[in-house]
Amino acid sequence: MTRVSLPRRFLMFGVFGLVTMPARAQQMDITRATAFVDKTGQDLINAINDPRLNQTQRRDKVASILRSAIDIEGTGRFILGRYVRQASPAELQEYLKLFDEIIIRNLSARFGEYRGVKFLLGRSQQRREEDALVSTLVERPNMPPFTLDWRVAEINGQPRVVDVIAEGTSLRLTTRSEYSAVIQRNGGRVAALLDAMRGQIAQLVAREGA
Amino acid sequence: MKFSALIFFGASALALVLLAGCATRPPADDPEALQEFRENNDPFEPSNRVLFAVHEAIDQAVLQPMAEAYRDVLPPPVRAGIRNVLGNLRTTTILTGDLLQGNFDRARKTLGRFIVNTTIGIGGIQDVGRAYDVHGHSEDMGQTFAAWGVGEGFYIFMPLLGPSTARDLVGFGADIVSNPFTWIGQGQILDAWNYMRLGMTIVDTREALLEPIDAVRKTSLDPYATLRSAYRQRRAFEIQNKDSPAGAVAPAGGVGFGQGITESR
Repeated sequence: MTRVSLPRRFLMFGVFGLVTMPARAQQMDITRATAFVDKTGQDLINAINDPRLNQTQRRDKVASILRSAIDIEGTGRFILGRYVRQASPAELQEYLKLFDEIIIRNLSARFGEYRGVKFLLGRSQQRREEDALVSTLVERPNMPPFTLDWRVAEINGQPRVVDVIAEGTSLRLTTRSEYSAVIQRNGGRVAALLDAMRGQIAQLVAREGA
Repeated sequence: MKFSALIFFGASALALVLLAGCATRPPADDPEALQEFRENNDPFEPSNRVLFAVHEAIDQAVLQPMAEAYRDVLPPPVRAGIRNVLGNLRTTTILTGDLLQGNFDRARKTLGRFIVNTTIGIGGIQDVGRAYDVHGHSEDMGQTFAAWGVGEGFYIFMPLLGPSTARDLVGFGADIVSNPFTWIGQGQILDAWNYMRLGMTIVDTREALLEPIDAVRKTSLDPYATLRSAYRQRRAFEIQNKDSPAGAVAPAGGVGFGQGITESR
């Protein structure tokens, strides 16, 4: 139990966030990274608890906060891994578009389930030269708490979330494994992954009823 | 734990029979594919996927409905009490792991928790140790082997047991052998007790995994691959023996399920 710092409460999300392996990343200052995670969490909590917003508006607001916090393109490229080079330019473009939609829809939908959540900023640690790991504790009403670590990198001069790690399990690594398996089991075709992603988006849309 | 021994040996035999279905190694002129093949270390993937499908069918027909009923019927404090008792009963396994890894600080905590929880906590129902900020942790022979430098070996998926590796499966067998309940006495009462403990362990573990598994089924394009990756990462995390601020511990089952299970509230 080395929860050293400023327990601050806010709402937070999801088991899962996002990802990237930034070729263009510079050294990430830990204080800045922590402040960034702190602010992002605060923004999200405010959006989720804003009584003036209806459900659609809330979802849009949450999506826009996530879009500006996450390095979606870098994350998407990291997850596609070696297949980035095998994909045609059109496929890559399509992939990044689908990836953006899946990530944002998944995360935004999850917020609905996370109302009343608190989010405690834990100890922070610098993990590597190019990115920082900010540790948080997520508490939900009537649910056990869990540890969520945010990997934050500097992308084009701005801090951006590149991965979230729930109790030791990294979302970008897990997703990379998943996408790679889909491609391999379909004859190494990136197009098969794109089909599967389209199918998933259709399901997400149906579930949201939007 | 005769029944779990039976499952273990039965599943091992089944796995051997199914070894016939092997994954195809990528060609040598594709180094990245080869590297990925080695990292996945899943030479029996076709067989494993069949076993995974079998497990999913059993789970959706039996285990998941049971776990949901368990959650619906019993109030949270009762379920927490059951989880605490099961955790307390794992003390010998955890303590053995602590000692074999030379981690005497953790061994002291494990022993202290056992004494306090068994007495003041009334047979382990209350986790008194946690109230004093001495949190439980997971340990098993698979983790101990890892701490000794044994590699994880190939991946294997066992129906009912879930994801595992060669190392963790051997560790699981060693845990059964080293468990005093496997050996002390005999008779119907003890048998009934062991079966009940096994049954409660399965239900408790599955209940703790309701949300994570739902999330995987809903969001993954390939749940088999997602689980394989998550299991490995989770095990690596547990093996590091880092204290998690959330006090996450493996469920009473302890084979490692690739998901963070936190203490019940």
